[in-house]
Formats: sequence, structure tokens, C-alpha cells
Amino acid sequence: MRRHTRRIYNICYRFTGNGTDAEDLSQEVFLRVYKTLGSYRSAYGGFATWMTSVTRNLLIDHYRRTKRDRVTDSLDDAMPVVENKASSARRPDELALLGELNSQIQVALTRLSPELREAVILRDLQQLEYGEIQRTLAVPEGTVKSRINRGRIELARILQQMGVGPS
Amino acid sequence: MTTLPNWTHEQIEARLTDYLEGLLQPEEQRAFDAHVSTCTQCEPLLASVSHLLTGLHSMDEIEPPPRLIYAILDKTLGPRETVTGWRAAFAWLRALANPRVGYGCASVVATFLILVSGSGFSWRKPRLADLKPASIYHNADRQVHLVYARGTKFVSDLRVVYEIQSRLSQDDQQIPSQDRNRTQPAPKSDPGQTDRTNPSSPKQQNRANGIERNLQMLAADLPLFVERRIQ
Repeated sequence: MRRHTRRIYNICYRFTGNGTDAEDLSQEVFLRVYKTLGSYRSAYGGFATWMTSVTRNLLIDHYRRTKRDRVTDSLDDAMPVVENKASSARRPDELALLGELNSQIQVALTRLSPELREAVILRDLQQLEYGEIQRTLAVPEGTVKSRINRGRIELARILQQMGVGPS
Repeated sequence: MTTLPNWTHEQIEARLTDYLEGLLQPEEQRAFDAHVSTCTQCEPLLASVSHLLTGLHSMDEIEPPPRLIYAILDKTLGPRETVTGWRAAFAWLRALANPRVGYGCASVVATFLILVSGSGFSWRKPRLADLKPASIYHNADRQVHLVYARGTKFVSDLRVVYEIQSRLSQDDQQIPSQDRNRTQPAPKSDPGQTDRTNPSSPKQQNRANGIERNLQMLAADLPLFVERRIQ
């Protein structure tokens, strides 16, 4: 339970970039899993993969649900400064835990499209194999590889725009 | 000498992950390197993505807040019941409603009863004076001596019975030998001596002499019994 909680919370946190949202979504994931436990089949490729798939679906739902709010926020603050956005979204203890680069990558992740974001998170942060990502996202392996590749390139470009790059 | 194929920017971008994960064929690898080394657009892109991967792989897992697990349990299994008022004051009694507590109490009571009974306390005529420590000590001491005396007597009785049995069996063995002696007188030999030779050991002869003496004493004590056995 503790291991799954940690993993699901991390996926949610990396996807949303917000501790409060990650907590709420983690609870939603476990509630959904608890209610639909009877529909679980080993054909999904393991319980962890099934949970990750449930998490991914809820994250996409959450992304679509909050899209309007994000548009309003971006109109209010057309050119958000990285430091200000980071400080408003996280608590001081969270900022202390994350290094400067990690913090900037986290900000850049939230600007990535959800399809590319989830692929990068599962591959580079959760260290999943291509087969597991394929089962989680229910897309062909070629699509998984393509999304990971495009996600990394897009993320690197966003970081460049933010003024973060190799020294 | 083969000429390397010229890769475009799009090809470089499409195979960037394969390059970083070492999945390119040697020829593709050389073509990739040749393009990147001369391209002002792809070289910084490769450096940026490599830098990004270094950062991504160094990102530690975030520890979820401890309250999250309790929140999840509340949400899935239902909120915990909060007890208030008198029920809260006596809530600790619920912990006693456990079979283990019952077994423990029963064993304590049984031990107490055994100890009190062993100390000589009379349940038919209970007296408070019997529960004084001095009385309990004296009674317990008396009980111990009584038990020891009974045990000693029991062992002594067992020994007597065994001796009677062994003498009777000895007697049964001697009757046929006496019949044989009438027809063919044997040379005088001590009891326990089986042939004309000397006893196999002095110890065996001493034991036989002892049995003879005991048999004489038994015949004197129980003449009727011995006569009946002989008949």
C-alpha cells in the first residue's frame, strides 16, 4: 500500500506539478481502483500496470477539466516568471527538496502536452520499459517511442526558452 | 571507401532517442555523428536533450505526506468512527473484549486456586486465618511433607510387592529342583549355585544367600501361603 501510494503520488505530482492536486488525485486513483477491483484482469499486465493505467486516465480527465482554469490563469499572467510560478505552486519544504534544475524541469513538464508529458514521466521518471508504457497507454510501441522522443525534444526546447541549458 | 548518407534535421530528431540509448546501427551512428558535428541546429539540440536526461534521471522520488495514506483509507474504507462522551471514557473496555484477555484471566484464577488449595486452605470450612502468610507457609510445609511421606510409603509398598513376587517365582523354580533331588541326589550346593562348579561370582552367591534368608522369614510370616504354593 505504501509503495503504491508513493508511486502514484509521484506520477500525479510530476504530471500536475502541484502537491495538493497530487494528493487529491492519488485519493481518487485508490478510490477508483477500490471500486473497480472486480474488473481487474491479469491480462492488463500486472496490478501495478493496471493502477498506472487508471492513474493516467484520471490525470487526463483532470487535465481536461482544469484546462479552462489554466487558460484564465495564462491570460492573467501572460509571461509567468519561473521562480514566481514555482513559489506559488509549491510549499517551501518542497522547494528545498528539489534542486534548481529539477525544479525547472518540473515547471517545464507542466507546459508539455499531456500525451508527451505522460510518456516522458513514465519512461524517464518512473523508469518503465517500453512494453509497460505501451500497456499503460494502450498505444502501439512505435507510438510510445515517438512520444518519448518528441517529449524529450519539446522539453529540452522549453528549458532553452526558460534560459536553462547545458553550461 | 563508402560515402556516408546525409541525414536531415528531421531524421536526426526522429532518431535522437535511439542515438542516446545506443540503438543505432554502426553506419547510422556514423551518419548521425557526421551530421551533428557540422550542424549548428542539431548539435545544441543534442546537448540540450542530453542535459535534460541527466536532470530527469537525477530527480528523486517525492515522499508523499503521511496524511495521504490515512486519507486514502478514509476514502476507500469509510471514515473512522469518532467516539465522544461516556463512550469515549469507557472505550478502553472494548480492548478487554478479547478472547486472549479471557484466557489470561482464567489461567490466573486457576493458578490462584491451585496455590490456595495446595497451601491447605479448606474450601468446605473456609477461615480467614488460613489465608495469613504464616498459616499458608505452615500449611504448605505440612502438605509438602505429607506428599513426601506418601511418596516414600508408596515406593516402599512397591518394593515389598516386588520382593514377594520375586520370592514366589524363586519358590516356583525350587519346587521342581526338589523333585529332581529326590530321584537323583545332587551334591550339596549353596542356593543360586546352578552346577557343581563354584558360583560364577561371589556377588551372585551373596544374593542367593540373601534370598534364602528372606524366604525363611517369609515362610515364618506367611506359613499358610507358602504351604499352599508348595502344594
